[in-house]
Amino acid sequence: MNVFSKKFYGMRLPAVLRTGASHCRELLASSHSGKERKRMTQFFQQLINGLSIGSVYALMAVGYSLVYSIMNFSNFAHGGVIMFGAYFGFFFLTLFRFLFPVAFIASAVCTAVLALVIERVAYKPLRERKAPFLYFIISAMGASIFLENLVIAIPAIGPTFRTYPEIFNKQPFKIGELAIGKLDTMMFVVSAICLILLIYIIDHTKIGKAIQATSYNIKASALMGVNTDFIIVAIFLMGGFLAGIAGVLFGMKYTVYPQIGAITIKSFIAAVFGGLGSLPGAVVGSVLLGIIETFTSGYLSSQYRDLIAFALLITVLVVRPMGLMGKVTEDKA
Amino acid sequence: MNKKKTALFLVCLFVVSIGLTGCAGNSQPAAAAGGDTIKVGWMGSLTGDQAVWGQCELNTVKMLFEEINAKGGVLGKKLEVIGYDTKGDPQEAVNVAKRLTGQDKVVAILGPNASGNAIPIAPVLEQAKVADIATVATNPKVTVLDGKVKPFNYRVCFIDPYQGAVAAGYAADVLKAKNAAILYDVGDDYSQGLTQFFEEYFVKKGGTVVVKEGFKSGDVDFRPQLSKIKAANPDVIFMPYFFKEVALSANQARELGITATLMGGDGWPSEQLISMAKDAVNGSYFVNHLDYDDPEVQDFKTRYKTKYSKDVELNGYLVHDAVLMLEDALKRAGEANPEKIAQALETTDIKGITGKIKIGKDTHNPEGKDAAIIKIVDGKYVFQQKFASQ
Amino acid sequence: MNNEYIIGILTLAGINLMTVLGLSLLTGFTGLFSFGHAGFMAIGGYTAAMMTVKFHWPFIPALLVGGLAAALASALIGKVTLNLKGDYFCIATLGFGEAIRLVLDNVQYFGGARGWPGIPYYTNIWNVLGINIVAVIVLANLIRSRHGRNMIAIREEELASQIVGIDVFKYKMTSLMISAGYAGIAGGLMGHYMTFLQPKMFSLAKSTELTIIVIFGGLGSISGSVLGALVLTSLPEILRAFYEWRLVFYGLAVIFIMISRPEGLMGGYELTPSSMKKLYRNLTSGRRDKLQGEGGGK
Repeated sequence: MNVFSKKFYGMRLPAVLRTGASHCRELLASSHSGKERKRMTQFFQQLINGLSIGSVYALMAVGYSLVYSIMNFSNFAHGGVIMFGAYFGFFFLTLFRFLFPVAFIASAVCTAVLALVIERVAYKPLRERKAPFLYFIISAMGASIFLENLVIAIPAIGPTFRTYPEIFNKQPFKIGELAIGKLDTMMFVVSAICLILLIYIIDHTKIGKAIQATSYNIKASALMGVNTDFIIVAIFLMGGFLAGIAGVLFGMKYTVYPQIGAITIKSFIAAVFGGLGSLPGAVVGSVLLGIIETFTSGYLSSQYRDLIAFALLITVLVVRPMGLMGKVTEDKA
Repeated sequence: MNKKKTALFLVCLFVVSIGLTGCAGNSQPAAAAGGDTIKVGWMGSLTGDQAVWGQCELNTVKMLFEEINAKGGVLGKKLEVIGYDTKGDPQEAVNVAKRLTGQDKVVAILGPNASGNAIPIAPVLEQAKVADIATVATNPKVTVLDGKVKPFNYRVCFIDPYQGAVAAGYAADVLKAKNAAILYDVGDDYSQGLTQFFEEYFVKKGGTVVVKEGFKSGDVDFRPQLSKIKAANPDVIFMPYFFKEVALSANQARELGITATLMGGDGWPSEQLISMAKDAVNGSYFVNHLDYDDPEVQDFKTRYKTKYSKDVELNGYLVHDAVLMLEDALKRAGEANPEKIAQALETTDIKGITGKIKIGKDTHNPEGKDAAIIKIVDGKYVFQQKFASQ
Repeated sequence: MNNEYIIGILTLAGINLMTVLGLSLLTGFTGLFSFGHAGFMAIGGYTAAMMTVKFHWPFIPALLVGGLAAALASALIGKVTLNLKGDYFCIATLGFGEAIRLVLDNVQYFGGARGWPGIPYYTNIWNVLGINIVAVIVLANLIRSRHGRNMIAIREEELASQIVGIDVFKYKMTSLMISAGYAGIAGGLMGHYMTFLQPKMFSLAKSTELTIIVIFGGLGSISGSVLGALVLTSLPEILRAFYEWRLVFYGLAVIFIMISRPEGLMGGYELTPSSMKKLYRNLTSGRRDKLQGEGGGK
C-alpha cells in the first residue's frame, strides 16, 4: 500500500464538507426543543474547538512524520524549533515591524534554516557513524533542552512570555449561537493550504517522488542515484518551514514562551496515532486527537484531557503500532 | 586509552571541585553576625511563569537594602541580600533553602512568593532554625499545618480563605450576583484554596455556583471548559489564578461570546494582563492587597520607577513590608541571631505600606489586614473600596 | 554546618544513583531504552509515603513495599510492551511514564496535582549510602552471573540470542522489574527527603535526565553510572553561578557526547580493584611500553 495514498484527500473532502455544512444548518435551524438545541450547539461548538486545536497539531505533526519517514527516529527537537518559529515571528513583527504576511514567511524561512542547522550539528555526525536510532533521540533531547534554555538565558529575550500584537480582533464570526474566532479560521485555512501544498509537492514533483523513494529504502534510493543527503536537507527544510508557520500561529493564539516545545508532545502522539511515517496519517491523527481531547474536556472532565491523549498513545502502540495509516515494518528474521 | 585517562582525570577534577566549592563556602566568616554585614536570603521565581514578580521582588529588596545601608544600616551593620532562583519549582526551593541556611548562613529568608514553594521548605527552616517571611504565599498551610503553627514560617500577606471570602462577599453583596461559575487551576494550591472558600461563602450568602471547571497549569486552551460555562449562563465568573492564564482565558471567553463579569484574586494584577487582554478584562474586579493609588505608596512607587525604569508589581509592595518586618525584628532582637530574630518576629506590630501588620502568635499571619477591591477600567486599576469579610 | 549543603547534594546524587543503577541494568546491560522511569519512581515514592504516613510503617519496610509496587506495575506494563520493536518500546515507556504522572495528578488521596506535604523526614546520607552499596553489590553479582550474561547477549544481538535458546522475553521482563524496583525505592527515598511529593517532580524531563546519566556514564558499566550520577547531579549546583546558562550548556554537552563519545565516560569498562591496579601499572610504567604497543597495531 502506498503510504502517501490519495484515499483521504482528493475528491472526497469537498463533498464531505458540503454535506457536513448543510447538516449543521439543518440541525440548528430545525425546531428542536430548547434543551436539545443547546446540546446540539454545545456539540458543534466543541467540535469547532477540536478542529481548531487539531489543525495546529497537524502542522506540527507533519514535521515529525516527515523526519520519521526518512530517518526512522522521532525528532524531539522539533518542539524547540517550533518555539523558535514563534519567537522569530514575534520579533519580526514587533522589533522590525514587518508587515504581517512578510513576517510570517520570514519566520518560516528562518525556522527552516534552524531545523537544518540542528540536523547538520546533531544528527549528521550520528548518521555518518551509523549510530543506533536511540542515540539520535538522546541527541534530539539535548538539542531540545539547549533550544529551550537558550531562549531563557539570553537576557534580551528572557523567560517571560510575549504577546503578539493583535492582528485579528477578538470578535468572533457567529453562526447562530456558534462562535468561531477569526484567528481560528485563519489558522485552519493556513494549515489546510500548507498541507495541501505539501502533499502536492510529495505527489507531483520530482523531489517529492525522490522523498517517497527514500522513505521506503534509503540505501536502495541512493543506489538508484538519489542524492539522499540532499533529500534529507529538503525534508528538514520543509519540516522546519511548517514548524515555523505552526509556531507563529501558536504564538498568535496562545502567546510566546520558551516552553511551547512541550505542547508538541501532543503532536507526537497525533503522529503515532495517525501512523509514524505517513503524512495524511499525521493530519488525520492530529484532527482526531484535537477533537477527542476537546470532547473529553467538554463532556467528561478537563482533568482527563492529557490522560486520554497518553492512553490513546499506549492503546495505539499495543493494539496497532503502525497507527491508522503508518508504514508496516517487520524484522526480517 | 588516552581518552579514558582524560575522562577519568576530568571526573576526579569534578569531584575535587565539589569539595572545593564546599570549602570555599566555609572560608567566609563563620557566623553571619560576625563581620560588618548581615546576610539576608531571598528566594523566588527569577525564571518561569512568575519571573516578572520574582525579579521585581529581588529588585525591591536590593533597592531597600541600599537605602537602609545609606542611612547607617541596622544594628550598625550593613544588610546584604543573597538571592536565588527557585524557578517556581518546590524541589529547587528546598535546595535553595538548604543552600541559604547551610552554605550562605543567612539570618533570615525573604520570599518565596508561591505557597507551593513556601510549604516544602519548612523542615529545612526548622532544622536550621532560620525564619522565613513569605511575601505573597497565601495558602494557610504555609504557616499552620494540622492546627499547629510552624515556628519559623511567617508571612506578610493575608490568606486564601480570606481572599476567597472577600471575593464571594463582594460578588454577592455589591455586584448582586446570583449565579457564579468558577474556572480554576487544579494543580495549584492557591487556586484551589480560593475556589474552596469562594464557593463556601458564596453559597452561604445565598448564591449558587452553577458550574465549576478545572484546568491544569500550563494549559493554554480553555475553550472546552468555557463553552460549558457559557451554556450555564452565570452572572459572574471567578478566575482565581495567575495573570497569564487569566489573559488567555479571558480572551477566549470573549471570543466565545461570554459577556459575564469576571472576577479574580491577587494573582491578576500585572502589566502583562493589561497588555494581553485589555479589552477582555475591561470591567472586571479582583481582590488585591492594597490600592495602587493609595497616597502612602506613591513614594515607593516613584523610587522604584526611577531606579529600574519599570513599574513596580504587586510583589514589590509586599516584599517592601517584609523588609520592614525584618528590620523591625532585627532591632528588637538586638543582634543578628537567626533564632532571636524568629522569636522577635512573633510579636511584630508595625504599619507597612500595604496596611497594618500585626502578627498573630498562633498563626504567624498578619491579623485583620484589609483587602482592596480593584476594578479594571480601560487598562487602569481603579480602586473601588476596602472590603472585609465577616 | 556548612556540610549540610554538600551532604544535601550527595544525598540527592545517591537517590538519583539508585534509579540510575536500575536503569543501567535495563539500558546498559539489556539494551532497552526507557523514557518512563520517573513513573516508577513516582509509584514507589507514593506507595512508600502511604505506608509511612497512613499506616505508620517503619522506613525500610515501607521503601521495600514501594519498590515492590513499582516492580509489579512494571510487570503489567512489560507484559504489554516488551514485545514491541525497539523504538516503539521506547515510545510506550514514555507514554506510560506520563500516564502514571497524570493519573497521580488526579488522585486526591495522594494530594493530587498540588502535592503531598508532611511526609516524615527519614532519608539521610547514611541510609542512602547504605542502600546504594547493597544495590551495587546485588547488581554486580547479577551482571556477573549467567543471567547477566544472557542480558548482555540480548543487548548485543537479540535475534541471535533467541535462536541460541535464551528466553528473551523472560530476561527482558526480569531486567525491567528489577530496574523498576530500584526506581521505586529511589522514589521512596526522594519523598522522605523532600518531605513532599508532587507528580510534576516525576515528569518526562526527569526520565530523560536519568537516561542521559546512564549514557553519560557509559552503557554497560556500573561504575560509570555511579560517576555519572555524582557528576550530573552536582554539576547544576556547582554551576549555580551561571544558572541561566547551565542548562544551555547541559543540552549542548548532551549533543556533544552523542556525537563524539557516545560510549560515555567509562565506555563499557568497569572500575574494579583489578582494573584500577592495571590502570596504575599503565600510568606508572612509563609511556615507552604503550607507544611500542600502539605503534605496532595501528
